[in-house]
Amino acid sequence: MATKYVKYVDVTKCDGCRACMVACKNWNDLPAEPQDFLGSMQSHANVTADTWNVLTFVEHENSKGNLDYLFRHSSCFHCTDAACEKVCPENAISYTDKGMVVVDQEVCVGCGYCEQNCPFDVIHLKTYKDENGKEYRKAHKCTMCTDRLDEGLQPACVTTCHTGAMEFGEKDEIISKAEKRVKEIKERYPNAQVYNPQGVGGTHTIYVLAEKPSVYGLPENPKVPTSAVLWKDYAQPIGKAMVGGVAMALAGAFVANKFFDKKNGGQEEDGGGNHE
Amino acid sequence: MGVATMSKTHNSQLQVKRFSKAFVWAHAINGIAFIGLYITALPMYTEFFDWLYPLMGGPEGARLAHRVLAVAFILPTFIFLIFDPKGFMNWMKELVTWKKRDLQFFSEFVKELFGFKSKHVKQTFFNAGEKINSLLQIVCAILLIASGFTMWFPDAFPTALVQWGYFLHNVGFGLGFAVVLGHIYLSVIHKNSRPGFTGVITGKVPAEWAKDHYTEWYEEEVKKGNFPDLDDPKNNKKKGA
Amino acid sequence: MTNHWNDLQHTDVAMIIGANPAENHPISFRWLLKARERGGKIISVDPRFTRSSAQADLYSPLRSGTDIAFIGGMINYTLQNNLFHKEYVAKYTNASFIVKKSFKFDDGLFSGFDEATSSYDKTQWAFETDKDGKPLRDEKLENPRSVFQLMKKHYSRYDAETVSTVTGSPKEDFLKVCELFCSTGKAGKAGTIMYAMGTTQHTVGTQNVRSYAMLQLLLGNIGLPGGGVNALRGESNVQGSTDFALLWGDLPGYIGAPKAIPEHATLEAFLEKETPKAGYWSNKPKFVVSLLKAWYGPNATKDNEFAYQMLPKGNKNYSHISLFNAMYKGELEGTFLFGQNPVVGGPNAGKEKESLSNLKWMVAVDLWETETSSFWQKEAGSDPSTIATEVFLLPASSSFEKEGSVTNSSRWMQYRWKAIDSRGEAKADLEIIHILATKIKELYKNESTPAAQPIKALHWEYGHGDHPDIDIVCKEINGYDYKTGKQVPGFGALMDDGSTCSGNWIYSGFYPEEGNNRSKSRDSKNTDGGTNFLNWSYAWPANRRILYNRASADPSGKPWSEERAVINWDASQKKWVGNDIPDFVPTKAPTDEGGTNPFIMLGDGVAGMFVPTLNDGPFPEHYEPFESPVPNVFSSVEMNPTVKVWDGDFNKKGNYKDFPIVATTYRVSEHWQSGSMTRNQEWLSELVAHMYVEISEELAKEKGIKNKDKIVVSSARGDVTAYAMVTKRFKPYKLNGGTIHHIGMPWHFGYKGYATGDTANRLTPHIGDANTMIPEYKAFLCNVRRA
Ligand SMILES: Nc1nc2c(c(=O)[nH]1)N[C@H]1C(S)=C(S)[C@@H](COP(=O)(O)OP(=O)(O)OC[C@H]3O[C@@H](n4cnc5c(=O)[nH]c(N)nc54)[C@H](O)[C@@H]3O)O[C@H]1N2
Ligand SMILES: Nc1nc2c(c(=O)[nH]1)N[C@H]1C(S)=C(S)[C@@H](COP(=O)(O)OP(=O)(O)OC[C@H]3O[C@@H](n4cnc5c(=O)[nH]c(N)nc54)[C@H](O)[C@@H]3O)O[C@H]1N2
Ligand code: HEM
Ligand code: HEM
Ligand code: SF4
Ligand code: SF4
Ligand code: SF4
Ligand code: SF4
Ligand code: SF4
Ligand SMILES: [Mo]
Repeated sequence: MATKYVKYVDVTKCDGCRACMVACKNWNDLPAEPQDFLGSMQSHANVTADTWNVLTFVEHENSKGNLDYLFRHSSCFHCTDAACEKVCPENAISYTDKGMVVVDQEVCVGCGYCEQNCPFDVIHLKTYKDENGKEYRKAHKCTMCTDRLDEGLQPACVTTCHTGAMEFGEKDEIISKAEKRVKEIKERYPNAQVYNPQGVGGTHTIYVLAEKPSVYGLPENPKVPTSAVLWKDYAQPIGKAMVGGVAMALAGAFVANKFFDKKNGGQEEDGGGNHE
Repeated sequence: MGVATMSKTHNSQLQVKRFSKAFVWAHAINGIAFIGLYITALPMYTEFFDWLYPLMGGPEGARLAHRVLAVAFILPTFIFLIFDPKGFMNWMKELVTWKKRDLQFFSEFVKELFGFKSKHVKQTFFNAGEKINSLLQIVCAILLIASGFTMWFPDAFPTALVQWGYFLHNVGFGLGFAVVLGHIYLSVIHKNSRPGFTGVITGKVPAEWAKDHYTEWYEEEVKKGNFPDLDDPKNNKKKGA
Repeated sequence: MTNHWNDLQHTDVAMIIGANPAENHPISFRWLLKARERGGKIISVDPRFTRSSAQADLYSPLRSGTDIAFIGGMINYTLQNNLFHKEYVAKYTNASFIVKKSFKFDDGLFSGFDEATSSYDKTQWAFETDKDGKPLRDEKLENPRSVFQLMKKHYSRYDAETVSTVTGSPKEDFLKVCELFCSTGKAGKAGTIMYAMGTTQHTVGTQNVRSYAMLQLLLGNIGLPGGGVNALRGESNVQGSTDFALLWGDLPGYIGAPKAIPEHATLEAFLEKETPKAGYWSNKPKFVVSLLKAWYGPNATKDNEFAYQMLPKGNKNYSHISLFNAMYKGELEGTFLFGQNPVVGGPNAGKEKESLSNLKWMVAVDLWETETSSFWQKEAGSDPSTIATEVFLLPASSSFEKEGSVTNSSRWMQYRWKAIDSRGEAKADLEIIHILATKIKELYKNESTPAAQPIKALHWEYGHGDHPDIDIVCKEINGYDYKTGKQVPGFGALMDDGSTCSGNWIYSGFYPEEGNNRSKSRDSKNTDGGTNFLNWSYAWPANRRILYNRASADPSGKPWSEERAVINWDASQKKWVGNDIPDFVPTKAPTDEGGTNPFIMLGDGVAGMFVPTLNDGPFPEHYEPFESPVPNVFSSVEMNPTVKVWDGDFNKKGNYKDFPIVATTYRVSEHWQSGSMTRNQEWLSELVAHMYVEISEELAKEKGIKNKDKIVVSSARGDVTAYAMVTKRFKPYKLNGGTIHHIGMPWHFGYKGYATGDTANRLTPHIGDANTMIPEYKAFLCNVRRA
């Protein structure tokens, strides 16, 4: 198996400069999306189809009663078991050999199943208009700058991050680095932890968080939605089998029926039941 | 398929009214929509049917059609309810009344299905099988419609509901497939039900067939003076012959 | 900066006070976080909890305008607890000097104050000297008239209790800061102070900086890696522009400009008066004459005082506020605004806008049509029919569209090459100036009026056509031998006889020989063993990276500690060696005369704990801002008595009763200054798209304001409407037992561009520091209500 890579985000080194947001728009040629005033320094409530990473700002009173001002670069997690990939009916979403989860907009039909099932709410639909003014939609999210990775570059946001809050590297190395980092900062942030949730098989955007995930608005135990598992791993295969099975049963019944009818002297014309 | 033959080989001059116009229309629209929904859903359901997309104007076309058909699928209930409220209530009543004979029906039904000899169990307007069918159809329809709406308007529902919607819709697909296939088989292909198929299109069925299949109902209607009494010889040439 | 950006990684404790580098100097955090990985700590002292505070190990609030009280308290703490670096203080500072009896301090006033002129007679603050004019010293620091003892007495009033009452910093927080930062007083430890506009934009701005320097000297933190007093400069090239005489009282290289006073009547008199007898400035005549040679070339001769008389001389104050006041009063006819937007960025901006309409003409040279160049338009709230000012807008090329150098806070002169061509008719500022100069010279060619003389005398030979040859400019800045045309190796080679020229002596050495413009050096290899990267660009003076690095070694020339070594005296080689260019005569032994005087730019060779040359006193003393919510606790003198107060309509003053809330203004990462550069950029505009005001939850509650509400902030000068950003990051201040609210707002907004909003500077006063005239943008009074 090819080596997996991850984007490492050590939020405790982030100073909230938001260069990553601009770098992403710049590299990926994304339009600005001015929002209404949100009441904090945060610019967008969440990532959108045109804003693939958003820096979140949280004012949090910590266990020692001190104020923490917590920043987090929020973007797609590139889950190992990606719910979005699982539910996409058109197979528009796939994994790259480096472990990234990417959307093929050529194939995407804008159904939004991915948007509804992502446990992190980081994939969204963008509405376009074709030349006839007809609207259509495509799913977009952080691509991990796959086009850059292919050229041996690092993601634009990582390259621009001046504090080293973000790095890009081999998964295993980064995980040990993250674990080491958490040990270093435990004293200052007793709730510090690595965020690499196993409910989605681990992710390819791995965080060192200073606080519990919920403080950052992240799910504590995210997983591929049970409904999606039941849907795609049970209902769908069973349904397919059943459709096949019923069709076969009926075909069988039809043949059997014909067969007995012939033996019984072709009573199909009598219009009545086979009763006495 | 067998309609033409039926009318000429059978003593069909004597027809009785089984279904109201409202039901006939409702059923037809409903049935057509249903088939359409299936066809449009197939390529969404599995890549195996992706070849259907080009026929429907691509994935977008299929999805649009699916939504149009979804509306067509929901409408008939209202047509039936508005134009034939009595029939509707009757149907509902039938569905909730279960007696011993309804259960007996099944053992015999299985035999009948595969062409074995079976004993006839007296039935009311709907036989027990049809009642089961109705119930399953209704459950399925509610399932598909409810979940369909959450999928259609995801922003109007909590995410968890939408997520479960996908699952339920999918289950509905499987379940509905089985039920409807059975329903269609029995009502169209299975020889003994054929008059019923004509009935669901014209509203009328041969009196004799009706009496055979839905004896209790038929006799009740006779008592009310709505239907001819087939035991009266002038009404039953075949038996009397 | 005495040190430089990369050097921050060596610090044990960085105290960020009066700055918010995470937002305004983000790259500094790359190094600070490295320092932290080595166990370093970060302190943030700011009226509100900023993105820098978020990264700090320790945060203390302080009311805007009370840095001297805070630092005075730290000085007191250091002295009372004996945490200072005794030998360093005794040997390398003037703490040991004996001050004349005429120096006194009483109830907020130093001796020599003259009410009428609001100024001091500074001669009263002089040192006792021996018969050679050398200051008397007591290196035991015990003499009651020693600077040390006077300082100790002065700051004994700044006890933790009083400091907390004045600054509003909780006493525990203040003491924690003292404890942590003063831990760097030990040899082997280094602490740095990082400051910027939170420090300087006050009526006591200069003294704020002075207080930081004193604390650092006490702790022996100057001259070593990870130490220093580090001014985080502003605009990308503001260091370069001040080096090149952006400041109104200076000639290039920080040479004070001559005035219309008898002592400056001739070059000889001027040099006589302004050249100190000792220290490096004793070379001033060489720098001045070389500068005149650069400017006037062959027209500068020994016989005509090297064209000294061509220099304009005046006694006026040409600071920003004064100029706008002159404009306001109709005393100015026209103005050139090269890359500035005072209608957004100037203090009391409403008045500045008004002032512009009194001009006959105005030339704006800018990348954009700004709020300033369109001040006369209806959208600006003006009535064009009543404005007679003729406005010209010359399109300027942006930094990417031109070649040249910028000098950063590290004093690194870094050459930059053009990336793209200019658009339309835009021209580089240098080209615009060049064209102007040649055209004006052409126009005055045949005139012989006094006004024409300096124009004709100007030697302007930088190539022909519209494009000056930058290489010629560079060579001239470095300086060359006027006869041979050969580049001089450095300012040591400059002469006062007219045989050399140099456009700016402090840069002399960056272009030491043909083909070697060292500002173009880009060797990122670490050749020195430290982190000084001596072959990356060129740092003035003489490419040294840490100023006063002689002080990193003890008087005998041995580093105070191995970890903090920079240079040391190598007795075998008989010179100073190390990983930086010595900020010292390289062959001067510690045992030589002056061999233990690390502060070579100062006459006495030692650093000034006591500075008898500033306008507002030799020791920093706390005064309240121009507008303050509370009486001064330290004395009955409310405001710095030496500031110039403009009155009347030009500078209305608000009082505590009507405007009970303290306000400050600041920047955010996402916007640049008056916003022209960022509000015209969509990706930046969307990040901070609205004018907002940060207010505490408590004030919000009191005023019935909810987060995101529109509110009106008013001062005696005007009001602005903005969104309320209700935040835990601002807390009410407990002062003198009472509670004072404090708010803050960005000053980046105007009505042009994508992100628009009201201009904060409509609220700020027209008042400046007593020495520099920098406006007091950081502390004023206001009131707040729901819109
Ligand atoms: N992104 C960005 N970066 C910039 C600029 C920009 O516009 N945008 N401008 C550049 C320029 S020209 C400059 S001069 C620098 C300025 O850089 P800074 O000085 O860092 O800028 P400010 O945000 O104006 O002020 C810094 C802090 O001072 C605090 N403060 C206010 N009053 C006081 C006080 O009395 N005492 C203390 N200790 N703190 C106080 C404010 O709350 C604020 O957080 O930034 C440069 N860098
Ligand atoms: N309330 C409040 N006000 C403040 C401050 C504060 O902290 N609070 N800070 C003050 C400080 S520190 C500063 S430095 C001033 C800054 O005040 P200004 O210098 O007036 O502000 P800028 O926005 O930097 O203005 C620069 C202008 O130059 C243009 N420009 C950019 N590049 C070039 C170029 O290459 N050539 C030319 N010709 N023009 C160019 C830009 O488009 C912009 O319009 O503001 C001061 N105002
Ligand atoms: C016979 C009834 C129906 C069947 C068999 C059916 C089947 C399906 C199937 C298989 C899918 C693809 C989802 C998947 O892959 O699991 C689908 C999608 C969908 N169905 Fe139905 N459906 C039916 C009725 C309805 C009804 C009544 C509605 C609306 C009220 C509806 C609304 C939708 C919507 C909105 C989608 C999503 C289409 C898209 O944009 O991708 N469906 N349906
Ligand atoms: C979603 C689709 C459908 C629904 C919900 C539905 C529902 C019903 C219901 C409720 C009845 C009444 C009695 C019964 O349960 O048998 C009925 C009768 C019938 N349906 Fe359907 N139906 C559907 C599709 C079809 C289709 C596609 C066909 C044939 C092509 C069909 C043929 C019949 C026939 C022949 C009867 C008459 C049986 C009798 O005599 O009572 N139906 N259907
Ligand atoms: S975070 Fe969401 S969008 Fe990203 S890979 Fe996981 S499920 Fe897909
Ligand atoms: S919106 Fe596109 S990517 Fe998302 S599930 Fe639908 S087809 Fe797949
Ligand atoms: S990895 Fe690339 S696409 Fe993803 S947030 Fe960073 S810059 Fe944007
Ligand atoms: S670029 Fe780095 S430091 Fe800046 S906001 Fe993004 S993650 Fe934080
Ligand atoms: S704004 Fe420019 S100069 Fe300042 S830190 Fe960012 S990249 Fe460096
Ligand atoms: Mo500045």
